Amino acid sequence: MTVADRLEEDLRGLFAHYPSDRSASGRTDGPAPAAAAAQGQGAVDAGLAIATADPPAPGVIPPALPPERVFDEAIDSDGRLRPHWRGVIEWAGRAGPEGYEAVLTENRRLRLESGVAFDPAGASDAMAAAADAFPVVIAPEEWETISLGVAQRARLIEAALRDLYGPQKALKEGWLPPGLAFGNPDFALWRRDWPAQDAPWLTLFEMDLARGADGRWMVLADRVDSPLGDGWLIANRVAASQSFAEPFLGARVRRLAGHYLALQQVLEDAMGPDGRVALMSGGGRDPRYFSHAYFARYLGAALIEPGDVTVRHGAAYVKTVEGLKPLSVLLRGVHSRHLDALFAPDEAAPGAPALSLAARSGRLRLANGLGTGAFAYRAMAPFAHVLCENLLEEPLILHDAPCLWMGDARAREQAMDEPELWRLERITRGPMTEKGAPVLTMRDRDALIRFLRRSGDRLAAVATPPLSTTPAWVDGALAPRQWMMRVFAGLTPKGWSVAPGGVATLVEPGCPPPPLAFGKDVWIPARTEDEARTAPSIERRMAGAHLRRTGGDLLSRVADDLFWLGRTTERADGTLRALRVVIDRMLSGQEEDESPEVLSAILEIQAGADERRVGMVRVRDAIGRLTADPHEPMGIAALLSGLRRTGQRVRPYLSEESWRSIDRLCSDKGWKMPPPPQNASALLRLIDDSLLALAAFAGATHENQTRNHVWRFLELGRGIERGLTFARAADALAGRRREPDETWLRAWLTLLDSRSAYRTRYMTTPAPAPAVDLLILDERNPRSLVFQLMRLEEALERLPSPGPRRSRELRLAMRTLMEIRLADPEALAEEDEDGVRPRLRALIHDVREALADLSDELARSFFAHTQSHAQVQAHQRMMAPPESPA
Amino acid sequence: MSRLRVRHETRYVYGAPAAFSQHLLRLTPRDREDQKVISTEIAVTPDPQELQWFDDGFGNRLGTATVYEPHDTLEIVAESVVERLPVTEIMPGASMPWEAAAAAAAAPAGLAAALYAFPTRYTDADDAIEAYARRIFTPGRPVLEAARELCSAIHDDFAYAPGATGAETVASDSYAAREGVCQDFAHVMLAAMRALRLPCAYVSGYLRTIPPPGQARLIGADATHAWVSVWDPGLGWMQLDPTNDMEPGPDHVLAATGRDYADCAPVTGLVVGSGGQMLSVSVDVAAIDETGAERAPDPAPAKAPPPPPAPVAPAGSAPATAAGPSPDAKS
Repeated sequence: MTVADRLEEDLRGLFAHYPSDRSASGRTDGPAPAAAAAQGQGAVDAGLAIATADPPAPGVIPPALPPERVFDEAIDSDGRLRPHWRGVIEWAGRAGPEGYEAVLTENRRLRLESGVAFDPAGASDAMAAAADAFPVVIAPEEWETISLGVAQRARLIEAALRDLYGPQKALKEGWLPPGLAFGNPDFALWRRDWPAQDAPWLTLFEMDLARGADGRWMVLADRVDSPLGDGWLIANRVAASQSFAEPFLGARVRRLAGHYLALQQVLEDAMGPDGRVALMSGGGRDPRYFSHAYFARYLGAALIEPGDVTVRHGAAYVKTVEGLKPLSVLLRGVHSRHLDALFAPDEAAPGAPALSLAARSGRLRLANGLGTGAFAYRAMAPFAHVLCENLLEEPLILHDAPCLWMGDARAREQAMDEPELWRLERITRGPMTEKGAPVLTMRDRDALIRFLRRSGDRLAAVATPPLSTTPAWVDGALAPRQWMMRVFAGLTPKGWSVAPGGVATLVEPGCPPPPLAFGKDVWIPARTEDEARTAPSIERRMAGAHLRRTGGDLLSRVADDLFWLGRTTERADGTLRALRVVIDRMLSGQEEDESPEVLSAILEIQAGADERRVGMVRVRDAIGRLTADPHEPMGIAALLSGLRRTGQRVRPYLSEESWRSIDRLCSDKGWKMPPPPQNASALLRLIDDSLLALAAFAGATHENQTRNHVWRFLELGRGIERGLTFARAADALAGRRREPDETWLRAWLTLLDSRSAYRTRYMTTPAPAPAVDLLILDERNPRSLVFQLMRLEEALERLPSPGPRRSRELRLAMRTLMEIRLADPEALAEEDEDGVRPRLRALIHDVREALADLSDELARSFFAHTQSHAQVQAHQRMMAPPESPA
Repeated sequence: MSRLRVRHETRYVYGAPAAFSQHLLRLTPRDREDQKVISTEIAVTPDPQELQWFDDGFGNRLGTATVYEPHDTLEIVAESVVERLPVTEIMPGASMPWEAAAAAAAAPAGLAAALYAFPTRYTDADDAIEAYARRIFTPGRPVLEAARELCSAIHDDFAYAPGATGAETVASDSYAAREGVCQDFAHVMLAAMRALRLPCAYVSGYLRTIPPPGQARLIGADATHAWVSVWDPGLGWMQLDPTNDMEPGPDHVLAATGRDYADCAPVTGLVVGSGGQMLSVSVDVAAIDETGAERAPDPAPAKAPPPPPAPVAPAGSAPATAAGPSPDAKS
């Protein structure tokens, strides 16, 4: 006998994993013995369980219920399908396991697709595949109460923060113990008594919410310091609404767009006419990067990192290649404590600005304010009742999951008396992550007592009681699983708006809420036409408002990375070509081509010269270093790892195809253990594969990349590096006459891939003047030196310039270009009595110097303020000696 | 009454020109119960594009200096003249039992002091420090009397060892090593007091050093100093200098107070540039008369307790020079 007894025939199979005697003690004949009990449960089922007469105290864990009494979202205590679930369940019944699996596959594909576009590290891929996707449906009446509770909580935390950083009435009246403020590492004491701010502390608020097995909702965690999980919510909804289109539309699920439209309006109002909205993320390594990138794109906000901001005269600016641009609204995805280089230098993120100065002047609207962490995670839980009654003068709507503040002696005793029921967590920061962190079951009880007495103010004992269950898809049918959800709220001119929906996840009993990721979409059916209306999506609205041809501001940091990506690809290209020419020659069987002198000269265009070695030993050593030594700066190993790092950082700015070529090159396992120089053919194959991947990257950027600043910085990096390589090659192979001259010139032509061009033009063995003409002066040969200067000039002409005059960089490039253009091939090829070609050498010297200067000038003009990677904190220590004995 | 002139020079030399620097300066003494500020000024070179002043939550005067133009050195010179005032002598034995003081700090009325009763990153005690404190804070003992003894104990038990610890060293590490500099001694004392939830503040400032008899005063050989201030609900705050086992007197100048070093660091900041930096600090404290002329050193501090029987510096050496500033820059 299964729960499905009371269900329609065709749905029974779907609930095969539900416990067998969910209702009526397993008997259906006669009046159900549990009917009386079910009466008591009736209030719960009606969704009115939130405000009960006797709210659970924060230190009381509700008893575990027998499985048949555990609240289930879809099936009521009588074993009947709850009405608001009918649509989705009937659809699942019709679809059957096969149909459902197809939807699931589509859902995963959509999730992965959004991950590919927004997550440079690909960290979301695994999560995307793993998370259960069967939606959760919440009755509209119940959602209304939840919304009220979430909005109240946001108002409560706002009021508590305003008080804590201001009059401190809660402390003075004893509603809040001093330890929760002064023993709290996230209470930013340095900003107490700053001028009163108009801006609210909270603009965004998220909450982890769960329903207990007894049917009552409870707060698991407040996410106030740097919430911004909205990207997950929206991406999850996009994937679910498309893959589950039939039940989604059938249930008339309330849309999210209206909520975000209101939020967008608030941000735009705060932004002013020429301000900017930016979303600050910790960068690609931040586990929440996906959400940050996705949400930034959704809102049309610039995605930035701490080092992209500078604060001057109390205003915040974003560093772009067009200079500092005023930043007026910052959505903060980085914790307060990592963002102030002046007041909290020890914990500041690399490159973090003195954001507090902008916050203090009131000229930067922060969402959320710096210092909100004081009431993050569980810090509100033990005091929510009393603070709500006193600060808001209304009863608390949503109660907290059991939580004991360890700054209180009696709470400590209780937790130590029931160690198996409680887990220790940092009250504002969540589970303790460090190894060897104290637990309540510690053997040495006295040591634990002492530790908690000293450090309890910043700790909480937390319990997650048994939770309600919701249908999850397990082996072709639905099974009841414990679950929780993240809900999202934003402050609008009309007060707090709660996004109708959420991201739900299955949870292990008794564990802390897991980090946000893709999950089960939470559906709230619309009751009215108004609720069911779909708002125009923000993307569409943005697109209608103004066409963006330039792609917005280019951050200096990103320009710097693009420039170095360009340089690194060219470096790799130069090294690979030198290796290929040398190995080809070693295999050629022509004695003069195999001369170690030529071979070393070719390799040493890239590798450092090792004067201690001679002959073939020197050649083999250079090959070995260039192919396998991770410390050789121009070696493949170092270049590929540099390429991977830089490539990942700028991935969002590259076309998908460009990225794939880089990825292919960097993940080529061949370079992990490159074949030794003796195994020439294998080495050649590897080299050719890599050269092809580089060519594919160059081709893909050339074909697919919009000609904007992104393209230009990539192009500048490539042009400078290729120019430098070509100049070094000219110097090494043609700077003086060597015998036999022909083989040196041929090496030069081959290295620059211009041998066939030479042959078609001259049909002779290489001679100095024609070779110089083709490889240095020929403006139509893309592998000539002059061509590199031409592409630099073209890119530089379109870069932003500070004034009406041509920039220093442009003038430098033009001057050098002119110098090459005015040179005469015969004169360059002239030799003096020692065989040196002085004019060629002089020209090459000038070009190399100019290119190096150009690189420095670019750094000064465009990347200078990004050098904050090298941010230094200036510490001065107090170390007066004891007074000298008199 | 004594008048002291403090000159505190901080100089950064950058390996490559810095494009931007922004520093927070806690170099401005304020009027306190035991001192009156006659004059105080700060000069920053190159001339900063911004110089802003404000107060923090601890009653300190802060400045921020921001330089936008490329610069390869940054020099901050703070000079103040402070008159030290005599204070009413506190009888430590008349203070409350320490348990009552802790309870008073935990009550709403003790809020202003409670701010200083909780451990911070630098002043988190471990079992060892707590036991050290409890040996002295026996049940019922007057809080200031016990604190005075703790101050002496730290002075006796810890070796002054510049270089043994860094600006980042936390109390439990310097306690385990039983050595450090004034900053570490202050942190250990703070950790011990706060393990018992007794309010105790970190005080940064300066101390005039007296040259050994027959030797000239060395200009710039002084360093920034640190000590603590402990609280009794009835008698108020009492300053104690564990490095010198004394109550600060006419030769101390108070610059800033806070919970620990992080709240009081004289100069912190950020520099945008590609090179490293070298920091040099010089501090000079001189006794002057009304006209500003330097006074001959007194033979001994006027109100300091008799010199400790076991001087920290080996006899015969010149401690003031031997322990000259060798500031370290964190990079």
